[in-house]
Amino acid sequence: MARFLIRRIAFAVITLWLLSVLVFLGAHVLPGDVGRRILGAFASPRAVANLDRQLGVDKPLPVQYLNWLSGAVRFNFGSSLAYRQPVSSLLGPALLNSLKLAAVAFVIVVPLGVVGGVIAALNRGRPLDRIITVSGLSGTVVPEFVSGIVLILLLGIVIRLFPVTATAPPGSGALTQLYYLILPALPLVLVLFGYIARIARAGMIDALDADYTRTAYLKGLSRRTVIWRHVLRNALLPTIAVIATQTGYLIGGLVVIETIFNYHGIGQLLFTAAQQKDFPLIQATVMVIGVVYLVATLLADITYSLLNPRIRLGGAR
Amino acid sequence: MDDEQSRIDALRRKQSEIGNHVIDEYFSGHISRRNFLRAGSVAGISIPVLSFLAACGPAPAPSTPSGSSSVKIKRGGHAAVGCLPPATALDPLKVDDEGGLLLLSQVGEFLSWSGSSLVLQPRVAQSWSSSSDAKTWTFKIRKGITFHDGTPLTAKDVAATINLHADPANGSNALSVFKGVLAAGAATAVDDVTLRVELEAASGNFPYLLSSDNYNLIILPANYGGDFSKTFNSCGPFRVTSYQTGQRMSVQRNATYWDKNFIPPLDTVDYDFYTDDQSRILALQGKTVQIVSHFAASDGQALFKDPNVKIIDSRSANHRQVHMRNDMEPFTDKRVRQAMALALNRPDLVQGLLNGKAQVANDSPFFKVYPSTNTSVAQREQNLTKAKQLLQAAGKGSGFTVQLSTWRGFEIPDYAQLIQSSAKKIGVTINLNIVDEATYYGNAVFGQSIWLDSLMGITDYGHRAVPNVFLGAPLVSDGPWNAAHFKNSTYDGLVAQYVATADLSTQRRIAGQIETLLLDETPIIFAYNYDATGATLPNIGNVRMTGDFQLDLRSAGFTS
Amino acid sequence: MSTASVPVARPRRVDARRSALAERLTLLLHSPTFLIGAVIVLFWIVCAIGNTHLTPYDPLATNPLGKLRGPSPQHLLGTDSLGRDELSRVIAGARGILVVAPLATVLGTAVGTALGLVTGYFGGLVDESLMRLVDAFLAVPVVVVGLVALVALGPSTITVILVIGVVFAPIIARTVRAAVLSERDKEYIQAARLRRERTPYILFVELLPNVMGPILVEFTVRLGYAIFTIATLSFLGFGIQPPAPDWGLSIYENYVYITGGYWWPVLFPAIAIASLVVGVNLVSDAISQVLDR
Repeated sequence: MARFLIRRIAFAVITLWLLSVLVFLGAHVLPGDVGRRILGAFASPRAVANLDRQLGVDKPLPVQYLNWLSGAVRFNFGSSLAYRQPVSSLLGPALLNSLKLAAVAFVIVVPLGVVGGVIAALNRGRPLDRIITVSGLSGTVVPEFVSGIVLILLLGIVIRLFPVTATAPPGSGALTQLYYLILPALPLVLVLFGYIARIARAGMIDALDADYTRTAYLKGLSRRTVIWRHVLRNALLPTIAVIATQTGYLIGGLVVIETIFNYHGIGQLLFTAAQQKDFPLIQATVMVIGVVYLVATLLADITYSLLNPRIRLGGAR
Repeated sequence: MDDEQSRIDALRRKQSEIGNHVIDEYFSGHISRRNFLRAGSVAGISIPVLSFLAACGPAPAPSTPSGSSSVKIKRGGHAAVGCLPPATALDPLKVDDEGGLLLLSQVGEFLSWSGSSLVLQPRVAQSWSSSSDAKTWTFKIRKGITFHDGTPLTAKDVAATINLHADPANGSNALSVFKGVLAAGAATAVDDVTLRVELEAASGNFPYLLSSDNYNLIILPANYGGDFSKTFNSCGPFRVTSYQTGQRMSVQRNATYWDKNFIPPLDTVDYDFYTDDQSRILALQGKTVQIVSHFAASDGQALFKDPNVKIIDSRSANHRQVHMRNDMEPFTDKRVRQAMALALNRPDLVQGLLNGKAQVANDSPFFKVYPSTNTSVAQREQNLTKAKQLLQAAGKGSGFTVQLSTWRGFEIPDYAQLIQSSAKKIGVTINLNIVDEATYYGNAVFGQSIWLDSLMGITDYGHRAVPNVFLGAPLVSDGPWNAAHFKNSTYDGLVAQYVATADLSTQRRIAGQIETLLLDETPIIFAYNYDATGATLPNIGNVRMTGDFQLDLRSAGFTS
Repeated sequence: MSTASVPVARPRRVDARRSALAERLTLLLHSPTFLIGAVIVLFWIVCAIGNTHLTPYDPLATNPLGKLRGPSPQHLLGTDSLGRDELSRVIAGARGILVVAPLATVLGTAVGTALGLVTGYFGGLVDESLMRLVDAFLAVPVVVVGLVALVALGPSTITVILVIGVVFAPIIARTVRAAVLSERDKEYIQAARLRRERTPYILFVELLPNVMGPILVEFTVRLGYAIFTIATLSFLGFGIQPPAPDWGLSIYENYVYITGGYWWPVLFPAIAIASLVVGVNLVSDAISQVLDR
């Protein structure tokens, strides 16, 4: 077990390092003179050159990379070009906001998706199964920006059930904040529901068809007992671990949702940074998104291996 | 009558030469009451005197513009304003965007305020006057104003602020206005209440260049250390309590505001930043905010017909310039440029694109909002036959293909598409290159900017209370924003004359010459100028705004 | 020079493959899922090919004074914010997405397949390091990579194709690699190695046909995602550019009016996107089910 863990974490660290290289190189594809961006059109070329030297952007790329990396590991990503304040001071609150929104979405969708999948599996082939599968599929394929707009219109304007922005007034309590986050979470829920229900359904069906289930029935246990004791536990714990890998998708979806709902999360931060070509900010944001994803998948893998002994013993492949 | 006449004479003796000239023009019926108020305020005639003189004059009193009438407001309360996020840190030197300039106008105070009527209202300056050659201007600074940190304001602070912006070393955004007019060190404090400004070149409209119209120029303390985005220390009606980059600015009323009649009724205000029109409109309709500082008239369909929303608007000189590179094929021939301009159906643009919240413009920066505009110059109308003839005469009868570059914001992409389909009618194929704002402007210097280098492009220009900036930077031969690469020495001469002129009828005469020249050359298509439009919920009153989308919330509040 | 045994050995395998293919095709044609999906996709393909020949109006013809008119006999789906006929734009909009999405997916599949074949076949350090790079790449969501890349390179159709293709390549590489791993130690590959076939021959002639199944499934799945992603990028303003009657772009251009009750220029393109993605997904589901048998 320890060997698996060490190996898995080592992989994650290597991946992280490669990600940092990719992100750094990617950001340097962005055209534009940093000094000129900061000082504006009316500054003299000499002042621009001076600032470039001060910021170190005239140095060779590998040197710049090392400087950036040594800062990044201490969560110091330099200064935003547009806002002229430390990137980390912008990134921290945005990340926290996004995590809140993602958490709300997960809290709604995981039970819903799992229950949906289980019900579908128990009614395999019957109309209820079809309804859940098809509605799940339809939800998955409608882009968030479409469902988001429709939901705003229906639940925010026509019947004023929810506020149409995601940010609660300053100083609001946790419950108010939660209330504001439900509407923005719904489009994400719609997209994820189909996926989770599908995985849960497949897991359930595997478990229902498994030998131990048959054995349990043969022992004369009632259907209810078999399902609660044997099937669900075996089917769902791995499913929940697999769900963690959906964070990647979720963050992609956040870019759109946060734009529509004007929510100050990491997606909106990235979108505005991209528009302003604020590349220290872009670099840091993409890096943080990558780290969140890697950590989530690492945790998912570890959970999964704890729950599924075959993986643990069988090695990494 | 005699009594009135003697009072007028007495008042006139106190006015400057320019001031008396304005009064002459008004009494002889050359200018309207509205233009008299405006021109008089520039010449430094105080508001009570102006009102008195206006009432004595020949022109009938105008009806008050809609939305500006005052309603009963109760004191107290908290309001949220949905506005654009500032594009940069809130640095008075650097702000060049609508989000930033709105916030500056709430915290800061200007020498004078250029409101929706384009009449200057004295603020930090109590009054002003100029020498007869309009090269030396003297401002009387109000006593009893204090900065938010409690320091009293004197003429020294004002002089320091002006010199700070005028010094090229500081790279102020206001340099675009001051270039050729004002050099570093031009402002001196004669004593605590007198400010003198010596100009490089005469400027008849100079007070506008130091008003809220030049939105960077909030008065800062003389010992300003470049840390406005931390201290927010100025002397405006609101003081900042918290600022979260990219999210919101929170303020409370400045209880020690100098104008005791205008201490804001609202206790606190939040300025919530919304990136796009849609989310601002939604926030208002969902009652998350009570005031929206700006929505594009083109996007306002939902608000215009919503009975639960009050529209606030202000005539303005906000406009789009469609430049054509005068030095590049096929636009080297002015007939081709004229043909492009003739292809547009401007009334349709005003109605269809901007929901009527705009005015047709005549291919020059002399918009109808300006008193100096010479309206006797004929308006250019759509004329496809003539456009085709002109192309034929220029040897381009079989049409040509060009690329039109612009950026994604407001109604600009829609405008680009309408230009594209208009051009199609005269056989010209336009390919669109629509990028994001930062890409379009690039480094904003020649050779490093799509804006300044493209063959044809659409650029957004914000409101100015006088056309000086529009006449200069984008059109004079050495103008830093001359995307059309228009070089015409006759034009340069006319502009220099116009800027130096202080009296309205001469201004108007030169304006006529400039308008005719620009119509003939058509380096840039000016098809419309649009109103500044914002909105409030019905229970909010007395919200006023400028053509620049600056809000005046000094008497705004909840209706009782 | 190949040995004499090759011509004998190969036709048999090809024959077997062919009959299996015929069997699967029959299965596919009897699957309602496939048929429904195929009909939807075909409908849009017809629209894409017919393009302006099928539209009642020129999809680019503006009429600012006739903007945002609701559905009527003249304009069955109403008009958009520039007074253009919505029905014509929805029909003509099929072409853009049905050219860009498949091209991007083909590019991604081609590059991904090549990568997957090489890494899976050789294994070892090459495989290990390439897969770590792929992992690193996949840590960032497609929309995020697309957004940043399009901002850097400037939005254009070519850029969209390249970006989506490049982003998809590692994902496809991973699937192909997994399939190759299960094939590479099989007899026919070892035989080819013993015959001293050149590596490209083994990879593309021997190995590739046997991993076509997973590649085909992955291709259809990715196609669905490509449509979704391109629509999203267009909605964010970084995809297909005006005045193209693209669906995602239409939603971006018109969604500001939706609160005023002008739902048609948003709803119809949205239905178009959703139906196309559903169609592609149904086809993809059916194919993978048939192949799994």
